Amino acid sequence: MECALHKSLILLRGLPFYPAIQAKAKYALLDVSLAFLGAAFEVVSQKVPELKNEIADWADGRKFALGVLPKGPYITLEKRGDAVYYLGKGLQSPDVTFLFKNFDAGVPVFAGLKSSHQAMAEAKILIQGNLVYAMEVNRALAIVLAYLFPVTVFKHLFKAPPKLGLAMLINKAKVQGALTPTFIKHMIHA
Amino acid sequence: MLPKYYQFYCPVKILSGYQAVSNIPFEMRLLGCKRAMIVTDKGIVGAGLTDIVKAAFADSDCEIGLIFDEVPPDSSNRIVNKLAKLFERQKCDCFIAIGGGSAMDTAKGANIVISEGTDDLLKLQGAEIITKDLKPMIAVPTTSGTGSEVTKVAVIYNEEANCKMSFVADKLYVDVAVLDPAMTATMPPKITAATGMDALTHAMEGFTCLQKNPISDCFNKAAIELIRRYLVRATENGKDEEARLGMANAALLAGIGFSNSMVGLVHSLAHATGGVAHVPHGVANGIFLPWVLEYNSDKVPEYIAELSGVLGGSIDYLEAKDQASVTVSLVRNLLSRLNQISGLPIRLRDAGITEDMFPAIAKLAINDGSLVYNPKEATYDDALMLLKKAF
Repeated sequence: MECALHKSLILLRGLPFYPAIQAKAKYALLDVSLAFLGAAFEVVSQKVPELKNEIADWADGRKFALGVLPKGPYITLEKRGDAVYYLGKGLQSPDVTFLFKNFDAGVPVFAGLKSSHQAMAEAKILIQGNLVYAMEVNRALAIVLAYLFPVTVFKHLFKAPPKLGLAMLINKAKVQGALTPTFIKHMIHA
Repeated sequence: MLPKYYQFYCPVKILSGYQAVSNIPFEMRLLGCKRAMIVTDKGIVGAGLTDIVKAAFADSDCEIGLIFDEVPPDSSNRIVNKLAKLFERQKCDCFIAIGGGSAMDTAKGANIVISEGTDDLLKLQGAEIITKDLKPMIAVPTTSGTGSEVTKVAVIYNEEANCKMSFVADKLYVDVAVLDPAMTATMPPKITAATGMDALTHAMEGFTCLQKNPISDCFNKAAIELIRRYLVRATENGKDEEARLGMANAALLAGIGFSNSMVGLVHSLAHATGGVAHVPHGVANGIFLPWVLEYNSDKVPEYIAELSGVLGGSIDYLEAKDQASVTVSLVRNLLSRLNQISGLPIRLRDAGITEDMFPAIAKLAINDGSLVYNPKEATYDDALMLLKKAF
C-alpha cells in the first residue's frame, strides 16, 4: 500500500502541471489558515482575560502582520481598545511582520505540527520591524494557539504546554463557538 | 540530537597571529580597495592601537582616508549618518573597524546607510531586509568577547525613536577579521575577565539553545576549550601574548558558533540589565550564566552535562543531570577565580543593581528576542526568580 502510494506520488510529481497546482493548493491552504488565525485572534482577544492582559500595554493602533514570502498570502491585525481586530488580507502598514520564507515553512506551523519558536530556530520565519513588538506578538500568538488547537498537539506548539483549568476550558468552548461565525463574517466582507 | 533542519554560514576570512594587522593593506588590495576609513573611539586612539594599524600602511600603496574616532559606547543613528556622509566626502572605498562591538556596529550601520541609499534605518530593522552588497569591511577587535567581527548583527540606538534597532542579515558579515594579540594587550584585567565571560556565555548558550547544530557545536566547544585554557592566564597577565591570542580566537570561534546557533535567556537578562542599569554586557552575562544553566538543566541536561568535560571537569560516569551540576559548579569556580584576580562582580548587588530594578529588568527580559531560542520557557515570574537568585 505504502509502496503504491509512493509510486503514485512519483508519477504525480512527474506531471508537467503538478508544481503549479501544488503551489496553488499550498497558497489556498495558507490563505485560509491565516484568515482563520486572524479571526481567532479577534475572538480570543474579546473573550480571554490572559490575552487582554498581554495586550494591555500595547499602544492603540499597533499593527502586526503575518505572511509568506515572496508573494503572500498576508494578513494584518490591529490593537484597538482592549482587543485585537483582524483588518483583513494583505499588508496594511504593519509595525512588525512575521514572514515565512516559503509555503513549506508555513504549513507545519498552521497545521499545529510545529511551534513558531521552533520555526524561528530553524530560520524559517523572518521578522521585519521592531523585535520587542515581535516578542509581544509571539506571546499573544501562543495564547491564541492554546485556545485554537486541541490539547493533544500542545507538545508540538509550546516549550511548556499550558494547563487549562476549568475557567479556561469554558472560555475555550466559547472561543470555539464564536470562531466560525467570525471567520465567515470576515470572508463575506473580504 | 541532530536538528531536523539547520543552516550555517560564515563567509569571513580570518587572519590570526602576531603582526596580523600588517596584512591589512594587502587584504584591501584583494578586496579592490585603495582608501580606507578607520572607525574607532578615542580610548583606542589614546591607547595607541590605531598607530599599530597606521604603521602597516607605511610601505603600502593603500591609504587611510580618515580616522573617525567619535564612536560612542552605544552606537547611534546620528553618528552612523555622520560617518556615512564623511565616508562619501572623503572618497573612501572600505571600512576598517577597530574596537569592540560598538565600533563594528557603527561601521556596519554607516555601511547600510551608504549601500541602501537611505538615512532612515528604522525601515531596515529586522532579519534579512538588507539585500544590497555593502562596502568591503575589515574588523580588528580590541576586546575578546563580543565576536562582532564574525556575526551578522548590528545594534544601533535610534535617538529620535528612543529605541534600539536590531539588524540581522547575511550582508552584515565583514570581509576580513584580523586577530592580533597586540590589539588586546592593553585591555585591563577586569575587562579581560568580563569580555571573556561574554565569549564563554556565547559558546555555552550556543551549545545549549534551540538552534544548535553539529557545525556550531564544533565552534562553540572549541571556544570553551580555549577559554578554559587562556581566560585566567590573560586576566592574570595581560602581556601574555599566547593567552591574548587564545582568547581572541575563543571569542571569534564563539562568535561564529552563536551567530549560527543563537543565544538564550542569559542574554535576555543581560540585555535587560544593561538597558535598565547600564551593567556591562560581559559582567551581566557572567553573573547570570550559572543560574540560567541551572534553570535550563532539567530541560537539556545532556547538553549542559557534555560541557563539563570541555571545561575540565569530572570524567566519572554520572547521570546527565548530575553531570550538568558539575558544569555549573565549574562555571562558578571560574567566576570566583576571576573575581579574586580582577574584581569581576559575580552577584547583581556587586554590579550596582538594587532590588527595586527587578520588575523593569524582568519586563524587558521577556521581550528580548534571544528568549525565543532558550530551550526552556521563561515567564516574567521566572525572570524575577532568577534575578533574586543572582542578587
